[in-house]
Amino acid sequence: MSDAAPILDVRGLTAGYGDTVVVRDLSLSVQAGKCVVIIGPNGHGKSTLLRAVSGLMKPMAGEVWFDGERIDGEQAETIAHRGMVHIPQGDGLFADMTVEDNLLMGSFPKESWKDRQATIERVFELFPIVRDKRAQRARTLSGGERRLVGLGRGLMREGSILLIDEPSLGLAPVMIDNVYGAIRSIVEAHRTVLLVEENFTHIGEVADKVHVLETGSIVRSGSLEALMADRTVVETYLGVL
Amino acid sequence: MSSSDLVAIVVTTIVFGSIYGLVSIGMTLIYGTLRILDMSQGSMVMVGGFVGWGILTVATWNPVVALVAAFVVTFVLGTFTELISVQPLMSRRGEIDFEMVTFITTFAVAIVLANLALQIFGPFQKNVPPLIHGGVSILGVHLDYHSMLMAFTSILLMIGLGLFLSRTRWGFAIRAVAQDLDAARLMGVPVGKLYPLTMGLASALAGIGGVFLGALYFASPTSGDLPLLTALIVVIFGGLGSLKGTLYAAYIIGLIQALAIVLVGTTWSLPILYGVILLVLIFRPYGLFGNPSEARL
Repeated sequence: MSDAAPILDVRGLTAGYGDTVVVRDLSLSVQAGKCVVIIGPNGHGKSTLLRAVSGLMKPMAGEVWFDGERIDGEQAETIAHRGMVHIPQGDGLFADMTVEDNLLMGSFPKESWKDRQATIERVFELFPIVRDKRAQRARTLSGGERRLVGLGRGLMREGSILLIDEPSLGLAPVMIDNVYGAIRSIVEAHRTVLLVEENFTHIGEVADKVHVLETGSIVRSGSLEALMADRTVVETYLGVL
Repeated sequence: MSSSDLVAIVVTTIVFGSIYGLVSIGMTLIYGTLRILDMSQGSMVMVGGFVGWGILTVATWNPVVALVAAFVVTFVLGTFTELISVQPLMSRRGEIDFEMVTFITTFAVAIVLANLALQIFGPFQKNVPPLIHGGVSILGVHLDYHSMLMAFTSILLMIGLGLFLSRTRWGFAIRAVAQDLDAARLMGVPVGKLYPLTMGLASALAGIGGVFLGALYFASPTSGDLPLLTALIVVIFGGLGSLKGTLYAAYIIGLIQALAIVLVGTTWSLPILYGVILLVLIFRPYGLFGNPSEARL
């Protein structure tokens, strides 16, 4: 483990909706240039964790430190300007805007907007299929194409970290391969990533560290190899291989 | 139908449709972005009328000054209206019937503005001179330059709004917020600034419409009531939140009114218009271009 201060440091985070607690006293950290994956069943707090970190919901307790500054309680738009990029579940694309306009919205912060044309070309080089669909409205895309546009939009500004919420959700296996190919290229470019996923089959390509989440708490942590070697973890949390 | 009837129908459609579009498009912009029916939009027409009266009749300055002043005054007033009648409720959006509560709070602002105007200017109608005097006759149909300028300016402003929304950073942000508020916030869009800006912009368009309508009719504390009703009809007929629907609805309503006036007579123009709207809404309750579940800019 690196001695450097983590880019993202979550300390004792508790979050939920109304009186219902979904994430309980959760702590984790993400070092610069690393990909940390949180894996867990549906409804156990993965998306809630990301929403509480990115400011879409206010944590009930705990602290979130980003780039050395405490950010819990700040608005999502303020945190976005700090350099956190959250690609939400279901992509959060603007359905009636074209693919190109969706990508350009990724450059909304003023400092990114001036370089938007150069950045969009880099995204097109990374994801050529997105270039082919640039004039189409987002609502006409397939699930896999939407996911790639969502990832491309996340790269439209110089973020310090990407939070990616279940990129394989609802996709056909061949499209999951494409999407994880894109995520691998992001990780190989040494971008810092916090990814949550229900499906563990592809995370070995990208994960530096894996946390297993159950009922809002981290119950196991380690490399995917170490977790896969633990029979209890495999049978209880990852399913039978 | 004679050729002069045809000219009268075309001209009336363009003039009515354009001004209907201008006073309605702001309401659509606000509904599409904030999901509120802004009942203060008629007041912005009224204020624009009084600004026109003050600058053209009292100060006798250039009409361009009247248009610019109306834009600035109603932009500031629209922004202020958002800050006092909508912004305080934003954090409780999930707990309350936001559309209904803001319908009432913006209506309250409209009542206050109408009474302020009554206090300051009195109950009597103020005559606002045309922005351009004179006119021209085509096939026996008289076209006054003021109405032509009103139609031209309205079309220009609507094109300008379209370009603003499709080409500029803040225009992108308005469209994004209209389609997915959370995703827009994750892009860094400061909704706390965007909402007042949107209401200011929409109000400024209504304010410019007010200068033209003031000259066409008059300025008075109640001169925003009919434009407000018209705007409500246009945006509901076109489909709430649909800019395209609002533009089509404005010109379709202009055309129906023009046909009724020329072919049947002025007396029956409004009953025929509302009869057609009633029929359309019975068969398409979400309007011509509205979506049954949701409306988008």
